[in-house]
Amino acid sequence: MGKLTIGCYPGLVGNMGYDFALKLADAAATKGHKVSIWFSGNATGSVKANQKHLKDYSTGEKHIKALLEKGVEICTCEACTVARGIKKDEGIPGVQWNAMHWYLAKIHAADRVLLIGGE
Amino acid sequence: MGDVKLAFIVQKPQYKGETSRLAITHAISYQTVEILLEDGDTVTPKLCFIGEGVLGLQKGQNAMDLYGITSTESHMKNTLLVDLDVLVCKEDLAKYGIPEDAMPSAEDMGADKSIQVVPYSEIQKAMEEAKHVLFF
Amino acid sequence: MKLAVFVSDFKLATDTLDRLKAEKLGIILVQNGVYHATTKENGKASSLLDKTPNLYALSDDVQIRGMKDADVDKRVKVVKYGDVVDLIFNDFDKIAWL
Repeated sequence: MGKLTIGCYPGLVGNMGYDFALKLADAAATKGHKVSIWFSGNATGSVKANQKHLKDYSTGEKHIKALLEKGVEICTCEACTVARGIKKDEGIPGVQWNAMHWYLAKIHAADRVLLIGGE
Repeated sequence: MGDVKLAFIVQKPQYKGETSRLAITHAISYQTVEILLEDGDTVTPKLCFIGEGVLGLQKGQNAMDLYGITSTESHMKNTLLVDLDVLVCKEDLAKYGIPEDAMPSAEDMGADKSIQVVPYSEIQKAMEEAKHVLFF
Repeated sequence: MKLAVFVSDFKLATDTLDRLKAEKLGIILVQNGVYHATTKENGKASSLLDKTPNLYALSDDVQIRGMKDADVDKRVKVVKYGDVVDLIFNDFDKIAWL
């Protein structure tokens, strides 16, 4: 089995590139691959806990929690997240907060890397 | 594992979206990734600008006064100060009528490196030599 | 290099895709990119389909748009997320998102 590192920049709600990233991660984890996800840019808004899941809107929190349960590592860019007014104690438990070099470190170890850039 | 080469390919223009800026700042973070790796392991990105990605690189930007944000020009100077290889596509600069000497320089700040304006074939080569390619 | 490119838009700036050279090029159509496989413009299929024989379209993204797998151009293989994972690990060594 291999290691997949996904960088996800598009925001939750408003760009389904985010949804794609989570579904791909889920499919890879289900197949036994080791998956790491890095959120930067607008994607960091999705790590705030207590999201209301409305049917018209993509949801992040529910899927993030499910991925964490499956052993997927998820990390948010601390700078991008705090710039958006989200504090660490407001984040979804289990999601790591780190600087950009976390992503590069995961890339170093990865067999495959997919960056989904933002808008 | 040693050094892992990466090619960061920026094809989106600057300022309206943040993707191009994020490419630059992620590339710069190669400087500190070693703290998370085993001894001797490194990451070496080449930061490449193609297509519309070359549109907003010119010197003379005033983002701080106008929008209160760091300019792309300033970020580009930082890349040179941390010894990153920055490649800008020669053909695309010519296509958009941007003179090569419009590229910023950090020589006066003590940078050893300068932006390299290169044929697209050099950027293709960077992609082939890299272990991973990241399109921004 | 063996490069798989995810195409996620219909109105693609083809500049980048046209310039990429690979010993094996794969194009995986996702999100609005699936329209390249399902939709003709003035009766003509997308020129993107001529770029490589290794063409794939994500079934979820075809169906969410009200189309069926049978609407997909015969040159394009319809795949699920699990198949995409297999492709990127087994058939290609680098992956890019446009």
